[in-house]
Amino acid sequence: MSDAMIVAGTYAVVYGATFGYAVYLHWRRKRAEQ
Amino acid sequence: MRRVQIIFLVATAAVAYGAYLAFTAPLDALQGEFTRMIYIHVPTLWLAFLAFGVTALGSIAYLITRKPRWDRLAASSAEIGVLFSVVGVFTGMVWGQAVWGQAWDWGDARLATTAVMIFVYLGYLALRHSIADPEVRAKRAAILGAIAVIQVPLVYFSVNLVRTLHQTQSIRPDGSTMPTEILVALLVNVGAFTLLYIALMMARMHVAVLEEIRIGATVVAGDAVAPPRLSDVKDV
Repeated sequence: MSDAMIVAGTYAVVYGATFGYAVYLHWRRKRAEQ
Repeated sequence: MRRVQIIFLVATAAVAYGAYLAFTAPLDALQGEFTRMIYIHVPTLWLAFLAFGVTALGSIAYLITRKPRWDRLAASSAEIGVLFSVVGVFTGMVWGQAVWGQAWDWGDARLATTAVMIFVYLGYLALRHSIADPEVRAKRAAILGAIAVIQVPLVYFSVNLVRTLHQTQSIRPDGSTMPTEILVALLVNVGAFTLLYIALMMARMHVAVLEEIRIGATVVAGDAVAPPRLSDVKDV
């Protein structure tokens, strides 16, 4: 695996975790509104 | 469109611009592609420090005023702080493996203090989940939240107190050790992640309010049963 791929993969994990958390909050909000 | 959605969209655009700068900024001669790790490693851990600082402020404000909104602020910020500190440590491990030849070293002061900080804030979240009474939970969590923040300066200055594997700060009061292009890209990413923190905090606090309303509306079995009062018992 090349250095660029490892760096890009790490960025994907960071953005995935951050925006994944935003999606999780959206789901919690919908559940609480029911 | 709600205010939180607007801030989230602005934050997403800023993060996208930060990513563009990160992948077009010049590379360090020794680290090569891994130079780009700085643009996510520093902002995520900066956010963790900011979030735990806000948790402490919310905790102190709750202990003084006893208003639930300060407890919500502290709890929301701690949750986001744990997320960003775990993500930040992950980026540091990938970076460390590439440039140090090892992902983790318990002998390093910065790494060890960061791990302890994460464990303590995981404990803070566990404490909150273990107490059902909202007032008792808020009070005990506020005491821990106000004390636990001491770890933030401890982690930050650990590289100055004990010189081991991790480098010292690149941005100091007397200037930066980085070229301007790298510094600008780093500051843009720090700003973008800070906007993201604000958006996530607004969303998380809104969820906390909704969940409190929902729990308040739930009838718990046994709620209507009053405990016997000894003052009502007459001597026979």
